[in-house]
Amino acid sequence: MTGEGLTESCPGRCPRLCRSSVALLVIFLSSCSGSQSALDPAGPEASRVAHLFFVMLFGGAVIWVAVVAALIYASRKKNAHSEESAGRVILWCGAILPSAILCALLSYGMWLMPAIRPWVPDDQPVRRIEVTGEQFWWRVRYLDETGKTLFETANEVRIPVGEPTHFALKAADVIHSFWVPSLGGKMDMIPGRTNPLALQADREGIYNGVCAEFCGESHALMAFRVRAVAAADYEAWLSERSAETRTNGLADAEGLAVFLKNGCGACHAISGTAANGRIGPDLTAFGERNTLAAGTLPHTAEDIARFIADPAKIKPGVRMPHFGMLQEADIQRMAAFLKELK
Amino acid sequence: MKSFIPREVESLWTLFTAPIVWAVHFVVCYGAVAVYCAKTAMLGFEFSTMRIILGGFTVVALGMIVLAAYLAWRQWGFGSGDPPHDEATRQDRALFQGFATLLLSGLSFVAVVYVAIPLIFIAECQR
Amino acid sequence: MMVELGNFTPEERAAQEERLRKAWKTPGGWRYWTSVNNSEIGLWYGVTAFAFMLFAGLLGLLMRVQLSVPNNDFISADLYNQAFTLHGTVMMFLFAVPIFEAVAIFLLPSMLGARELPFPRLSAFGFWSFLLGGVFVCGSIFFNAAPNAGWFMYPPLATDKEYAGIGADIWLLGLSFIEVASIAAAVEIIVGIMKCRAPGMRINMMPMFAWYLLIVAGMILFAFPPLIAGDILFEMERMFDWPFFDASRGGDPLLWQHLFWIFGHPEVYIIFLPAIALMAMIVPTFSQRPIVGYSWIVLAAVGTGFLSFGLWVHHMFTTGLPQISLAFFSAASEAVAIPTGVQIFVFIATMLAGRVIFSVPMLFGAGGIIIFVIGGLTGVMVALAPFDWQAHDTYFVVAHLHYVLIGGMFFPIVAGIYYYFPFVTGKKLSDAWGKVSFWLMFTGFNVAFFPMHFSGLRGMPRRVFTYPEDIGWDWFNLISTVGAFIFAAGVATFVIDIFRPKPKPKERNLNPWNSGTLEWTNDPSEDWGMRSVPIISSRYPLWDQPNLQADIEAGRYYLPDAKSGKRETLVTSVLDAEPIQCLRVGGSSYVTIIAALALGGVFIALTYHWWIPTIISAIITFIAILWWLWNGTGPIPESAEVDVGLGQTLPVYVSGPASVGWWAMFITMVGDGTAFASLIFGYFFYWTVHDDFTAGASGPGEPWPMVALVLFVIAWLLTIVARQLNEKGVVGCRIALVAGIGVTFAACLAGVAGPYLHGMDPTSNVYPAIVWIIAIWTVTHGAVGIVMQAYCLARSFAGRMTAQYDQDIRNVALYWHFMAFTAVVTFAVIGLFPMVSA
Repeated sequence: MTGEGLTESCPGRCPRLCRSSVALLVIFLSSCSGSQSALDPAGPEASRVAHLFFVMLFGGAVIWVAVVAALIYASRKKNAHSEESAGRVILWCGAILPSAILCALLSYGMWLMPAIRPWVPDDQPVRRIEVTGEQFWWRVRYLDETGKTLFETANEVRIPVGEPTHFALKAADVIHSFWVPSLGGKMDMIPGRTNPLALQADREGIYNGVCAEFCGESHALMAFRVRAVAAADYEAWLSERSAETRTNGLADAEGLAVFLKNGCGACHAISGTAANGRIGPDLTAFGERNTLAAGTLPHTAEDIARFIADPAKIKPGVRMPHFGMLQEADIQRMAAFLKELK
Repeated sequence: MKSFIPREVESLWTLFTAPIVWAVHFVVCYGAVAVYCAKTAMLGFEFSTMRIILGGFTVVALGMIVLAAYLAWRQWGFGSGDPPHDEATRQDRALFQGFATLLLSGLSFVAVVYVAIPLIFIAECQR
Repeated sequence: MMVELGNFTPEERAAQEERLRKAWKTPGGWRYWTSVNNSEIGLWYGVTAFAFMLFAGLLGLLMRVQLSVPNNDFISADLYNQAFTLHGTVMMFLFAVPIFEAVAIFLLPSMLGARELPFPRLSAFGFWSFLLGGVFVCGSIFFNAAPNAGWFMYPPLATDKEYAGIGADIWLLGLSFIEVASIAAAVEIIVGIMKCRAPGMRINMMPMFAWYLLIVAGMILFAFPPLIAGDILFEMERMFDWPFFDASRGGDPLLWQHLFWIFGHPEVYIIFLPAIALMAMIVPTFSQRPIVGYSWIVLAAVGTGFLSFGLWVHHMFTTGLPQISLAFFSAASEAVAIPTGVQIFVFIATMLAGRVIFSVPMLFGAGGIIIFVIGGLTGVMVALAPFDWQAHDTYFVVAHLHYVLIGGMFFPIVAGIYYYFPFVTGKKLSDAWGKVSFWLMFTGFNVAFFPMHFSGLRGMPRRVFTYPEDIGWDWFNLISTVGAFIFAAGVATFVIDIFRPKPKPKERNLNPWNSGTLEWTNDPSEDWGMRSVPIISSRYPLWDQPNLQADIEAGRYYLPDAKSGKRETLVTSVLDAEPIQCLRVGGSSYVTIIAALALGGVFIALTYHWWIPTIISAIITFIAILWWLWNGTGPIPESAEVDVGLGQTLPVYVSGPASVGWWAMFITMVGDGTAFASLIFGYFFYWTVHDDFTAGASGPGEPWPMVALVLFVIAWLLTIVARQLNEKGVVGCRIALVAGIGVTFAACLAGVAGPYLHGMDPTSNVYPAIVWIIAIWTVTHGAVGIVMQAYCLARSFAGRMTAQYDQDIRNVALYWHFMAFTAVVTFAVIGLFPMVSA
């Protein structure tokens, strides 16, 4: 196996090697610290694929330079070569060499595929996170080994560091695609199907995810966050969120009253209150999230108010009706209340 | 062999023999695993059995391509004349057909081998 | 082939030329548009396709402006979505494929040494269909009604009537219409290349362009029908709520993806190969030597043609199919890089073995290769499923596909236009303008698209109308936008160069580049194409056959005259190009325009659900086509054989496999069979995705499908009997035809009886829907079969079909072979498979 030796002997080193060897790349990659880059991997799948990419990039660059050099030489040279020698160029450079290189590359890729997305038998009990793509947000349900729902949240996924997290990916309306570039490749969410995906983060942090399949008017505004935390913290958070009754953040009775009075609970649920709507995103512990409206806005009280007043202005085609007719004070009140839901 | 297949096959279709073998091999491999992975419970045998069956089929396909290549090589006069085969004669036209068929057999052989490579590495119906 | 060339006095020649001119005259005034001559149709086709390209390019610029800075609100989300949908759709369907049809229709007859392709009216019909469909699709954006679900139209987004309104119907029906035109062009091209080459142009002497086009036309035949089948399912869902892609009623959105990409990936090569074919004509000319590796090019063209059908799932690597399935497609996708590499090295080898003159066409050609190789290498990358899981649907793929299509298709097309401009107009384009245009395009293209590789891998998905500012895509996008405008300036320079007034060349020079291929003997100021059809003994006859040009122009070869006043061209044998027939082709006619307008009316009226205009248009189409066939095909000639010059006489009328009409029927039915196979694929696809694909619904039962099967077989046998009896006399044939019509009618009734009498409701679940659609497909073909039998009967009574002149019944019998196969498969599958699987 050509690829195997490389990967085992220098995990993560070749990317750095390539970075230093290709001057142009340094310019592009020096700013690769964004949390949404496949070239800045934070998990085993992403880093092995990034490694594959750098191998191919290096090989491709060599081949391209060679072809262009041959082309320039062929058009500038003084004497015509014989037909026989030109024919040998076709045989060796056009047919045999590419066949051999592609055979090696294909084997590397085929070996990599089951290595990064291994076989999980159907009957093996695993905890899954069920993520459902909806226009234009993500419904997230934490399931136990038996598939029972522990609790629901939206637009932010919390996962433990250092172990694979299994996702069950679904779609409610149209096709979406679930992609966290720093952790691994994407997987489509298709109505009528449940697609599996396992991702692992090797270090704590916040990683951006996006919808990668065109899903309608605001496809561009359908992002989410993955928050990777230490395994122990994860378990603690999981059991805390799974608890039946919650009172956190509900001290603001007046804000809750405004929220309920305006019918928000028909679509949104807040655990521990009368709001139990299932149409829109679950707002339990909404204040913990980093972003608003599926990664579209920063999570500030002003932006929450802005969104409540006219969601379609921020997110064209959104299902939520606008509430601009409410008193400005009521909107502010709700925004403040939601911001504090922890 | 020679008695069954005449030396002079006056048809354009012989050119496509090897690629058609590739196409059949490809469709059979894809169709077989697609049905197997969708209907595993109904079929009731292991995926490794499927790999062996398809491996055997690959050998058959390669054998047919080698046969096509041999016949093409024969039509090309066993390489006695070099390309470009651009004379305005029936013989050069036949030599050209032989050579082009031989080249296509080579490509088809490589392509069938490529399609068989996944059978080595992928051992289950995982997604 | 040693023959005595003809010798004519100047007076004789002048008289011949007068007759030829009269026979091939392009009508004047507004009747000009009734012309069917390949040089007119090719030019209109090309200009129209180019105009659509400029329109789609402007949409591209609109998108680049919107994306130049983050959180931009230059255009609305919905307009952006319409723009990118239309950009892709127009570039693929209204530019890339039609421009190659244009070039083929324009160049092929001259290259092959024919006066005309075998079915000029079919080309004209294709052009008018294309124009009408294209204007309909493009115009929609000015009414804010353009398709907005992406050029790939994935359901359920595109079946959602609230989101994808009339635009989706415009896409489906407008493009189905254009696909029909493409298949018509494919039939024309295949028959033209196989049967209409100059005498002596054996298959080892064919110009490279013809080899490529033969393969491409074959690919169209297998690639477009699955999309047409998909369009039918799609439109049935949108119009009548049949749930083919609705998961809640057993449908599956993935079936559309399969059918779309079985079309969509070969499509890429359908676009790419003709452009490379132009390169294969240009490179030898400017290397001043024959191409090195002629057989290798054949390998590359045929190999690519086949392998390109094993790639479609690489557009579906992230849909959650089993890895082993993905892996087969990865393997085929890597394999297809081999013939592509061969192609590039054939050009390099030819340049190595020659002395290269670096003119503007070569500049565009070489620049195209340099760009294309990058696209090819990134193609090898995304072909690997693990890498594609990251790169799929990101700007990396946007970069990849533009490197492939602009490098592999657009640059060679521009090179081809520079090269062939003198062939079309007798004047050259400017070298200086060409160089400026090239460097603007080359620089602009790379500045625009290279950064997209990086924005893509840094997480930027495709088809986003805006993006946030803090993720690190800002600079890449701004640079891309600047590059796009530089590229556009290059294209504008090129367009100005085409349209600016150019002085008439001082002396007549038909072959300004000193090319070796036959088309350069044509005089653009004459409509007849070849003055006389030469005997060919070289791949580069203008280099190797001394005095060829003068002999052709002196009418010393075949068909120097048009004594009958009809348009005549030679038909030759497939392998060795021996003359076998003097073919008379159709001349200027309104019927093609009327038929195209009426068929367009059917599609447009359907879009708006105007049922009455739909039916009226359909009737007009039907009548127009029958009139066209009745008056335009297979007329009984005044004498069985005519003098074609050089002391030879050839038959004017042939039937069966020797005739071009038989081949056209055969090829059309192969395409038709492919569409049918796609529907059958759909049936078994639903079987695989469900444990019980009937969902407990009742099937059509066994008895009725078996009755239909048997009746169709009997009708088929009666048609064959009619063909045999026709050789002995008219009476038996007529009786057999009447019986055939009756049995076919009964067979059609029996075909629908199964699903109908079992109360299968096609809106309830996908199982009844797919059974119905397959039954309807077959019964519709049965109805066409009845029309054909009746047509033969009428021809027999009208004395237009006799024992000797029997094209009609032979072609109809050929149709019935396919018909019988379709019926047997249909009724065996819908009748027996439910029993087997249960």
